[in-house]
Amino acid sequence: MPSRRLRVGRGAFLIPPLAVVLLLLLGPVVLLALYSLDLLTNIPGTPTALSGDNWNDFLTGPGNPFRGRFLYSMVVTLLVSVGTTVAAYPLAYYLAFVARRLRYTLLLLLIAPFFTSYLLRLVAFSDVLLNDNGVVNQVLWALHLLPRDTAVSWLLYSNFSIFLVLFYSWIPFVSLPIFAVLENMDRRLIEAATDLGASRLSAFWRVTFPLSLPGVIAAFVFVLIPTTGEFIAPLYVGGPSNQLFGNEIQSFFSSSPNWNYGAVLAIALISVVLVLMLIFGRYLNTDLREPATEAAR
Amino acid sequence: MTIVNRFTSAVLTVYFWAFIGFLFAPLAVIIVFAFNQSAVPVLPINALSTRWFQRAFDDTELTGAVLRSAEIGAATGLFATALGIMASLGLSAHRLRLRAVFVAILLLPLVVPYISLAVGLLLLLNQLGLEISLGGVFLGHVVIALPFSILVVLPRLRSLDPALIEAARDLGAGQISAFNLVTLPLLLPSLVSSFLICFVTSFDEFAIASFLAPPGLPTYPVFLYSGSRTPGLLPELIAIGSLIIVGSLAIVVLAEGGRRWAERRLQGATVAAADEPAAEDVGRLAAGA
Repeated sequence: MPSRRLRVGRGAFLIPPLAVVLLLLLGPVVLLALYSLDLLTNIPGTPTALSGDNWNDFLTGPGNPFRGRFLYSMVVTLLVSVGTTVAAYPLAYYLAFVARRLRYTLLLLLIAPFFTSYLLRLVAFSDVLLNDNGVVNQVLWALHLLPRDTAVSWLLYSNFSIFLVLFYSWIPFVSLPIFAVLENMDRRLIEAATDLGASRLSAFWRVTFPLSLPGVIAAFVFVLIPTTGEFIAPLYVGGPSNQLFGNEIQSFFSSSPNWNYGAVLAIALISVVLVLMLIFGRYLNTDLREPATEAAR
Repeated sequence: MTIVNRFTSAVLTVYFWAFIGFLFAPLAVIIVFAFNQSAVPVLPINALSTRWFQRAFDDTELTGAVLRSAEIGAATGLFATALGIMASLGLSAHRLRLRAVFVAILLLPLVVPYISLAVGLLLLLNQLGLEISLGGVFLGHVVIALPFSILVVLPRLRSLDPALIEAARDLGAGQISAFNLVTLPLLLPSLVSSFLICFVTSFDEFAIASFLAPPGLPTYPVFLYSGSRTPGLLPELIAIGSLIIVGSLAIVVLAEGGRRWAERRLQGATVAAADEPAAEDVGRLAAGA
């Protein structure tokens, strides 16, 4: 049957994109793994034989600085993920339930900054807004909230500036999955709750919020995953003690080349993200796996 | 009884617009200080001037970096979208074995941290005996852009009415001409979205470019990073930056407007997704990561 042959032909279209991902994504990951086990090396004179020394040092070495940096990064990542998700919820709620007619236009307004250059926005924070004679301090001086020519010490190169910048850059995107869930929610359920005597507040806590949890978790994971590997923000607004795990990886491959140890950190980062995906991935329901969901909406 | 009372909606309205102000503040200061005559971006602004734009356009290293990124971005947009169409056609095949495995592999670039991928690509080039090059940057960008393309194109492909293609086939069109005459035009709005999202992803990408762009041939983000460490260069970087911000905001608005227009025109021809704005695509990306 001709239609059958057509189907077989269609599957073959997968070959080029799969080849690209396998060569250019899995290839590098495999090489990183080989370097991390000392099977390959960039350091002249180092024997290339299977060895778990680097892994051992990273995982069990007492007071290993990279492990400490990793834990610091995870704390920052968790704080940013929770902070953005909590702050984004009312934005999504506003779009879905208050801004009825203009909601898609306002949604566009909300996410538009996400599509402008990330590095430029970091420059704005580090060199125009938060620096010692920057706009924020200037405004505080003008309002007499701060003595002239003194600067708020924790405004830049601090935990605060790292959090602020990451929070700032993820807020627009994080609102989206929450908005999507609220927007597609069956409003009759909420109306039924209020008709049956629930106050608006208890209808929210007992109906709207539980139903929106998949979007909330998706939003949370959506910040968690990329922030785990973040390294650009600390380059601009972080001091020496606010560098993230990604910065450690970066320096092993640039300023002090030790690809073998750097590969351990790079693979550790990938593993953590994969574990997070295995834990939370089920909440990220793409309609790629189930063709039926599109029709069901 | 409405879902939200008047007081809550007033509070939420204030909250929303305060956030819009917060989100646009860094963009606004870049645009305002681009016209500052002074060489340091500090308040108060005593005189306005366009001299930094002049300086920026005369700086061939800066304009070269912007053009380089635009070229790599356009090439990435085209290649990733082409691969995205292939992947979408393949994944929408009926009775495809291992579909879940293929989906997982194709979406993997969304979860591998860019910094790990960047250093891994460095090892790959080294292993193959190749020097770092802009070609390497381009290939890295194609990989990270591919999932975005699939997440935009595949749902659109799924929403097409199979009867349309069957009708074309019944009327004598071959497989290829049915695809060119029916499927491709109906996919066009999503292909434009895909191109733009892939372009922006590449244009703004720093991790891979910082490792693979050869010295002397920086992409725009790499130049911006090294340049912003040089106080003398900052004013012209801000001037060019203001143009890039205005340009990207214009593209977002035009893409959305164009898409709404195209969706209205194609409304009769498709089943679902009739009035879904581009934001919905981005929502899928969000949900898909």
